[in-house]
Amino acid sequence: MAEQSHYPHYDVMDEAEAWDDHTRDVVRKRLAPNGNFSFLTSQEAKTLAKIVATLTDDERSEIISYILSYIDQRLQSKIGESERKVGIPKEADLIRNGLALIDTVAKSSAGQEFASLTLQERQTILGNLERQQLPVPWPDKGFPQKELFNKLLRLAVESYYSHPLVWSEIGHGGPAYPRGYVRTEPGLLDPWEAKAEE
Amino acid sequence: MKKPNLKDRKFGADEVDICIVGAGAAGGVLAHDLAKTGLSVVLIEAGPFWDPQNDFASDELAMSTLGWEDTVLVTGATPLTMGQNNTGRGVGGGTVHFTGVFLRFHESDFKVKTRDGVADDWPISYSDLAPYYDRLEKEIAVSGPKHFPWGQFHGPYPYPEREPTSTNAMLFRQGCEKLGVKSTVTPLAIISAPFDGRPPCINRGFCNQGCMPNSKFSTLIQHIPKAIGYGAEVLSDCMVTQIEVDDRSGRVTGVVFVHDGVEYRQKSKVVILANFVVQMPRLLLASTTAKYPQGLANSSGLVGKGIMPHSSQDVYARFDQEVRLYKGTPVLASTLDFYETDKQRGFVRGYTIHAHGSRPVAMARGIANSAKLWGLGLRQMMLDFNYYARATLVGEVLPDLANTVTLADEQDEYGLPRPIVTFSYGQNDQKLIDHGVAKMKEILSAAGGKPEYVTQDTAHLMGGCRMGNDPETSVTDQWGRTHDHENLYLAGAPLFVTGGGTNPTATVMALAARTADHLIAEAKRGMLGQLTR
Repeated sequence: MAEQSHYPHYDVMDEAEAWDDHTRDVVRKRLAPNGNFSFLTSQEAKTLAKIVATLTDDERSEIISYILSYIDQRLQSKIGESERKVGIPKEADLIRNGLALIDTVAKSSAGQEFASLTLQERQTILGNLERQQLPVPWPDKGFPQKELFNKLLRLAVESYYSHPLVWSEIGHGGPAYPRGYVRTEPGLLDPWEAKAEE
Repeated sequence: MKKPNLKDRKFGADEVDICIVGAGAAGGVLAHDLAKTGLSVVLIEAGPFWDPQNDFASDELAMSTLGWEDTVLVTGATPLTMGQNNTGRGVGGGTVHFTGVFLRFHESDFKVKTRDGVADDWPISYSDLAPYYDRLEKEIAVSGPKHFPWGQFHGPYPYPEREPTSTNAMLFRQGCEKLGVKSTVTPLAIISAPFDGRPPCINRGFCNQGCMPNSKFSTLIQHIPKAIGYGAEVLSDCMVTQIEVDDRSGRVTGVVFVHDGVEYRQKSKVVILANFVVQMPRLLLASTTAKYPQGLANSSGLVGKGIMPHSSQDVYARFDQEVRLYKGTPVLASTLDFYETDKQRGFVRGYTIHAHGSRPVAMARGIANSAKLWGLGLRQMMLDFNYYARATLVGEVLPDLANTVTLADEQDEYGLPRPIVTFSYGQNDQKLIDHGVAKMKEILSAAGGKPEYVTQDTAHLMGGCRMGNDPETSVTDQWGRTHDHENLYLAGAPLFVTGGGTNPTATVMALAARTADHLIAEAKRGMLGQLTR
């Protein structure tokens, strides 16, 4: 596993002018998220920000605020969830009640709300959530902790790996229309692709 | 997006010859063939009428809208992932987001009961579909090898195979070669040279997000525009909520659909449902009347029973050199050496393996979910994004009547009960998966990689309204005509009796083209939608 980017000087946005207008618009909007939320309360946003930062191992505020705005938009939209397991609450309820539960557990186990905990304490809580082992007050015994964890991880990961800063770090060539890729055989790169620097 | 004009409908209150529900792989072919012959055709689609150059984007997250995102309830021991994983929404349906793999089923796929003693035989054989595979491959200029080593069709394909391929595909083929496993460049519905006003592929790589240059076939750009040219009307953004039936005669009279909250009707001599494995049983089961309390076409009780995905595990192997999974068409090399039953393996039926590219979201999401990798571990793994190769299984899953589409108490925005999709793998399926995963690891290891992650996944859906000769054990006859209603037809993947061990789109389209030919012959003898005069 790598400890740092193989491509420290590559910026996928340098090529944005070569992309089609629609794609450029979609990607550029991620760089300037609107900080207003229509679903999340400020307390929920605070807790969620620390959860997604822990799940992605990244504290950079510009990325975290994009992830929050993605999740916020999704939770207030009428588009469906694609699939939901029988017996599991609707996505918006699962997350709203889940965030409150995580804060409750943080206060009872560490004496502070989740956002104020150390990285290690946050990891412990999320690890317990993942294994359905969070010590919750009895009315919440049946709360689908594992489902909540999976949902949060999915939302965090799919938005994190859609951010162009992250594309640049992992050396993703990114959008390629109308230009396409020309040199695709082993060892060949198109001139604008990321070049490894080790 | 093109918007439908509901104020000025082409056929309005008139009865048309053919009303098709669902504008995907099957519906597109049917609309094309039937309109071409002069029949009046209305094609109704729940989703939008995409304009590829303006509505699509080179972006994984933004293009999840190509999938059917309306909530489906899932359950079972291995609940399915829905949405873009297996179901399209919008004109073109699944062909808009499929990888373009265009492979025929083999003779053995139609005779599983006879050969392997499990599941059932189809009421048709390979030779019934062969002329339609031939026609469709030419009609969309499938680009593939001069010689194809497996099954009954050995090439050459109408257009030359794709060249160059990709590092991922070449490593995969080198691994196969070292193990003595045959491999080939994959036959694709993605053109290698100009065809029908469309340019060859530019290796943009976002086939699953909708092709922007129009190099990949879809019924959105191929069959449906031609169908409109032949006089068909396409009603997009229109959700069909009910099939109407005359309880006295058992004949269907048309469909009810909703656009922007307003209800409309389309009367038709023949109704064809081509709305895929979940929505088709859902609509049939929800269209109850006094005479049909169990829903339409359901005297056998088999509507919604026996659905099948393909097992589709991925193996990611890390290499010392860059692979760059994002570059180019995702699937460019395959092996079908493990397709047929081999008793020594301890299970029946088999599978295809593809070298399969990926983009960051699919890779990170798949590995995070399956390996439960998050935090520092996930971030460090993804820093090596460009050093991973990937192979993907397309494994046959045997039909099991316990795998179903049923109706929930919960309703959607139209007041329709939501579907519940229940799925669990059987023992044979699990053994097949274990074998396939081991084989993928061997191939990528032989190529010099170190297999690190296996993701649990499924692809495609089939079955749920299976075809057959006996009305007690099947929903339709061999033409897709329902046993219970002489003028209600079903088309596409739900008719599959077994799932085969490879990508189903070519077979979905061949079956639809065969149903179209049948209907054209019926119309010629004045018997459209009638069994007796």
